[in-house]
Amino acid sequence: MSRMKEFTKGFFKENATYVQVLGMCPTLAVTTSAINGFGMGLAATAVLTLSNIVISSIRKGVPAKIRIPIFITVIATFVTIVDLLMHAFTYSLWKALGIFIPLIVVNCIIMGRAEAYASKNDVLNSMLDGLGVGLGFTASLVLLGSIREILGNGTIFGVRLWSGFNVFAMILPPGAYMTLGLLAALFTAIGLKRKRGEQK
Amino acid sequence: MKEYIKTGLILMIYCAVAGLALGLVYQITKDRIALTEVQEKLGAVEQVLKDESGNYIVSLDQLRSAVAKVDQKVEVIFENEKGKVFSPVYEFDSEFGKVYVLTGSSLGYGGPVTVVACFIKKPEGFSLFSLKVTDFSQETPGLGAKIGDPEVQKRFYPMEASALKNGVRVDKDANLTQLSAQEAKEQGVAKVSDVMTGATITPRAVANALNAMLDYLSGVKR
Repeated sequence: MSRMKEFTKGFFKENATYVQVLGMCPTLAVTTSAINGFGMGLAATAVLTLSNIVISSIRKGVPAKIRIPIFITVIATFVTIVDLLMHAFTYSLWKALGIFIPLIVVNCIIMGRAEAYASKNDVLNSMLDGLGVGLGFTASLVLLGSIREILGNGTIFGVRLWSGFNVFAMILPPGAYMTLGLLAALFTAIGLKRKRGEQK
Repeated sequence: MKEYIKTGLILMIYCAVAGLALGLVYQITKDRIALTEVQEKLGAVEQVLKDESGNYIVSLDQLRSAVAKVDQKVEVIFENEKGKVFSPVYEFDSEFGKVYVLTGSSLGYGGPVTVVACFIKKPEGFSLFSLKVTDFSQETPGLGAKIGDPEVQKRFYPMEASALKNGVRVDKDANLTQLSAQEAKEQGVAKVSDVMTGATITPRAVANALNAMLDYLSGVKR
């Protein structure tokens, strides 16, 4: 696979949220607004890229038996670093994302990429993979958060688009499930169409 | 046995490196984090000491020296069944009487709702001068999170000491939704049903936090 494809696969073909259906807990919980989704996505991207780079570079010195505890240690270290940096420099975003920053440790996208990709590939490809999957995750969260924020609150990134027409359910958990389900269906339909096109 | 020791040692090395990296980042960020926390707190305290025209009711010098004197450690100093009050409590002298600025919290819809409030001691009790809801991050955007709107927060203050004899309630709980915002305040009621439709839990949390602060003040600073 070319380097460009390593980077772009996370956006659509192997999109973590809508195609692989990974990391559902933060996806459903933080996407009440576009900015929350953006912040969470960028934090996860930073952790994913850094942990992919480190895991790929130490892969030959990691005994197979203890690879999982080592990967978790690497990931947890980067999550704590991101948490400390966000607390120090982006206080309001850090407050808004609350518990979901420490929970990046157990985000299965990060563990999944470490185990399935970074531990088997070179540093550059692993970095591109982490960056691509992370930005794909960010775009997915922003898309989901934007739809919920627009319909539920009449705003996008806090900017008011209209007032008077709000579907409150969109901001509540049912809105998250419905929007996620419809977007996953859309991604699957487009994916199938592409596949058929390639076969022809 | 040898294998166990080897894997144990490898794991230890990785943990030591991780610990070192974390220690380094902690050292770099700890001052900045402390500064941000104090600035946030100071900002809220400053804001609740402003009157409607934007003038401080205590001098800024007095405020800064009080903040510098007080231990900034945050601990629960009072708790009733619905709310908590945290340290530090700031105390100032003003032309209106003794002024207290407290931080309290109560459980909202998704988590704790934190309020910084300013009370003035009067012969008949404590009057609520101003407040700021500083943390409502777990409340639902578009519903409970509307509590962040300063206009909504103004529905809680000012309230005279005579109106606070039975504490603060929201209009829905007090069955007084027909009153105007001003009429409601005169009875210790915050009229929020018109501006926070469908989200009573969050303003109720603000009222509970204020009541915890009033209980603390009437018990300790009588």
